[in-house]
Amino acid sequence: MTATVEHRPAQLAPPAVVLREVGKTFGTGPDAVTALRDIKLTVRAGEFVCLIGASGCGKSTLLNVVAGLEEPTTGEVDLRTARPSFMFQESALLPWLTAGRNVELPLQLSGVGRRERRERAESLLSLVRLDGQGRKRPHELSGGMRQRVSLARALASATSNDEPGLLLMDEPFAALDAITRDMLQGELLRVWEATGTTILFVTHDVREAVRLAQRVVLLSSRPGTIVREWDVPENGRELLHDEITARLRQVITSHAA
Amino acid sequence: MPRDVGAEVRDPAELDIAEALKGLDALDTPTVVTTPWWRRALAVGLPPLVALVLFIAVWQLIWASAITSEYKVPAPISVWDEFAATVDDGRVWSILWTSISRAFVGFAIALVIATPLGLLVAKVRPVRAAIGPILSGLQSLPSVAWVPAAILWFGLTDATIYFVVLAGSIPSIANGLVAGIDQIPPILPRVGQVLGARGLTSARHILLPAALPGYIAGCKQGWAFSWRSLMAAEIIAAGPLLGYGLGAYLKDGSDLSNMPGVIAAIFLILIVGIGIELLIFRPIERRVLRARGLAPGV
Repeated sequence: MTATVEHRPAQLAPPAVVLREVGKTFGTGPDAVTALRDIKLTVRAGEFVCLIGASGCGKSTLLNVVAGLEEPTTGEVDLRTARPSFMFQESALLPWLTAGRNVELPLQLSGVGRRERRERAESLLSLVRLDGQGRKRPHELSGGMRQRVSLARALASATSNDEPGLLLMDEPFAALDAITRDMLQGELLRVWEATGTTILFVTHDVREAVRLAQRVVLLSSRPGTIVREWDVPENGRELLHDEITARLRQVITSHAA
Repeated sequence: MPRDVGAEVRDPAELDIAEALKGLDALDTPTVVTTPWWRRALAVGLPPLVALVLFIAVWQLIWASAITSEYKVPAPISVWDEFAATVDDGRVWSILWTSISRAFVGFAIALVIATPLGLLVAKVRPVRAAIGPILSGLQSLPSVAWVPAAILWFGLTDATIYFVVLAGSIPSIANGLVAGIDQIPPILPRVGQVLGARGLTSARHILLPAALPGYIAGCKQGWAFSWRSLMAAEIIAAGPLLGYGLGAYLKDGSDLSNMPGVIAAIFLILIVGIGIELLIFRPIERRVLRARGLAPGV
């Protein structure tokens, strides 16, 4: 079943996530903090989009709203995928379960039978190159391995129905050392191409964004609004990196006053 | 759906990455240092053994120097003789059984009551506000304080004994569970939520397993409290309706000015308390902590 997934899916793929004028305000009255304002964003099925911005740009809030962990104050979120799955900065594996059982958990929760979920967990672990490590406990694994188990678990969750999955990633590699981060970025691209999952990836690292994404979305801070979007070309990422960095600096500078 | 990547033909460049990743994993994986079992046994068993021998030696010295009268400090050997006599006529087994069975039944009832109570206090805000402080306050109330009231309520029956045991152990167990739940890292319930666990499923798959270490610590303390309370109750409340347990044996020794009997009873109480902790609670706790990588070394 090696159906070829196109390396760069056509822009014509159907939308997987549509955000319409989404806003999020915490609290009421004079103390209210507007985290997001008027976010309009469409992510197509199989697309890899990076959200980038400085602190306080509401990128994590935006992910939480898409994940359904928080309700938007205004606007609406239209999801045309299976229940989105989430990957955090920490691997957040359950320490009392083995790596394999961690991957199985979302399948178990959605009622997949024992044998099937064991097989699925095994194939997902081998997808993230952790063949035969399923019986280890999280504390017996390195940080990079834990984050890959977490990726496998998120994929299990994203693909537990046969609908195309949506993977929301909140700075998943930020806590890793540079060597491991570099490796895992490559691995994530490979896994994305192999699975055809839609990915919405939050980062504050411009280099990471232009390396991974097909499209980079820059958010301003307090409140978070979309400043600009860039399509990432196959060539000329260096140039794009410089351009985005310059624009990001502008956004940050505007907060100096 | 994930594709079966194992079946794909990998190009050499990708094979290199796979190998590099394997190398990185090998370098980063935490190493486990194991010590041979006899060395561990020596490190754990020898110090208390030396302490015990020293204690008995000092005791023997004090007795031999005769600085105080024989009925206050008997010779270690006469305590041993007293103990051996109860073993010889088989009395010790019925005494131990009376007390240990009571402690276990009491502890089991306490578990059944304290577990839902702890869950309620931990998860329902008004309940916590209402009885949370009382529950932790009760932990510092010596359960022997309940004995006079219990005797007036239930007379000299087993009900008195069980009431005192429950009053002693329920707060510890419930508080342990509350502490265990409070200490769950906030990321774990969120993980449960994004993986699709709601309500009771979340309690079963996330909340309870995550709170287990605190709960076990509470149970351990609850056992200690129930054993203590039982002894207090048995010493104070004696009667024909009550079986003859360790507390009654201790009281008898005191009434008859039989100091070797008193000391033998104290040792038995101590040995049972420590024994249950070492044989039951310690292994359970260690297993749970080791599975989570929280008990280093062993």
